[in-house]
Amino acid sequence: MKPTVTERVKETTVGRSIFRVPDRQTPRERAEGHWANFFLHLYPVKIRREELGFRYSWYLGVISLTLFVSLIVSGVYLMFFYVPSPTTAYGNIQFLQTSVPFGQFIRNVHRWSAHLMVVAVMAHMAKVFYRGAYKPPREFNWVIGVVLLVLTLLMSFTGYLLPWDQLAYWAITVGTSLAAYVPFVGKQVSQLLLGGPQVSSATLLRFYVLHVAMLPVILVMAIVIHLWRWRKDGTLDPGGELDV
Amino acid sequence: MSEEPRIVDGSRVLGVVPGKPAVGEEKIPARQRLVFVWPHLLVRHAVASLGVLLFVLAVSLVFDAPLREIANPMSTPNPEKAPWYFVGLQELLSHLHPMIAGVLLPGLIVIGLVALPYIDRNPQKRARYRKVAVWTFTLFLVAWLAATIIGFAFRGPDWTWVWPWNGWYGEL
Repeated sequence: MKPTVTERVKETTVGRSIFRVPDRQTPRERAEGHWANFFLHLYPVKIRREELGFRYSWYLGVISLTLFVSLIVSGVYLMFFYVPSPTTAYGNIQFLQTSVPFGQFIRNVHRWSAHLMVVAVMAHMAKVFYRGAYKPPREFNWVIGVVLLVLTLLMSFTGYLLPWDQLAYWAITVGTSLAAYVPFVGKQVSQLLLGGPQVSSATLLRFYVLHVAMLPVILVMAIVIHLWRWRKDGTLDPGGELDV
Repeated sequence: MSEEPRIVDGSRVLGVVPGKPAVGEEKIPARQRLVFVWPHLLVRHAVASLGVLLFVLAVSLVFDAPLREIANPMSTPNPEKAPWYFVGLQELLSHLHPMIAGVLLPGLIVIGLVALPYIDRNPQKRARYRKVAVWTFTLFLVAWLAATIIGFAFRGPDWTWVWPWNGWYGEL
């Protein structure tokens, strides 16, 4: 057989310096190659055939992850044009929408991805419930999933305030007003959340820091653990072959 | 016997024994056999991923994200609604004491979800063998959906009932 273009590139000096591994032919070699790959190692090497189809998962996990990546990419773009202060925030959004290349479009992507991610994560949870996939040995991964849902809601909620328009301001006012009803420490919780008696510049800064720094880092870590446990639990599942 | 020895996989075949395989019958049904994640699963994930991305990009071309006038602490809009995923709680808040609807209930929902795999010890995975769990969860899901839809689309000024075709107050 004639070597393909990829094979020829791999043969060159530069190619050999990038692709360390020899060609993988046998199942064992292919499995080893999977393990050795940085990007693939969060995935299991093999899964049961029934897990492949749309009906099994509706692909809601990977859909949630895709939306999250879309949110990171669009969110970083938005950060270049945004200062979290009541005097600048609203003007920044207007400038973004009218004068920044693709500004309105990227903001739309961020907004709609955010709403869709909340829907996708909730649907993912419901699908996992009905499939009974929270049962042993996967109990704790379900718990991490609940944490991920809460984090997703918090991400969405903190981001909601940032445009500093009437919609944002009053939605957050309503949402945070509930904190005051927490027994015994209601006032303190409210103070911690808002940085004052009402939604103000301190709140905007707090929500911004939570939204772009703290929550995303925690969310990424939780996702990584979620995927890692998904891989590990797969081999513990009595439903599947214990192989490779 | 001047015949050349038959070579299979680098080994000489000495004879063929009739009957069942020595390791026994195949017990694992086809749907449970293991397949490689690359390419079988990853190709499907790539397609799902690109499909969603395409959908988001298309929606973003057609619909603009809302931006109202600048925040004004002096002027409260009527109705003032929480983001859609909290609007179900807000709907309950109009019926129940805020302590119950705003603190106790969300707390119980999160605790209940966390505790679910430890409460439900039934090893069965098919819906028809776990009626209690499925019914409880479905009931909860329907109630939550109903509260969210009512709060989002059926509530107007002063949180009064407004049919969606008479006035629209839901915002994303």
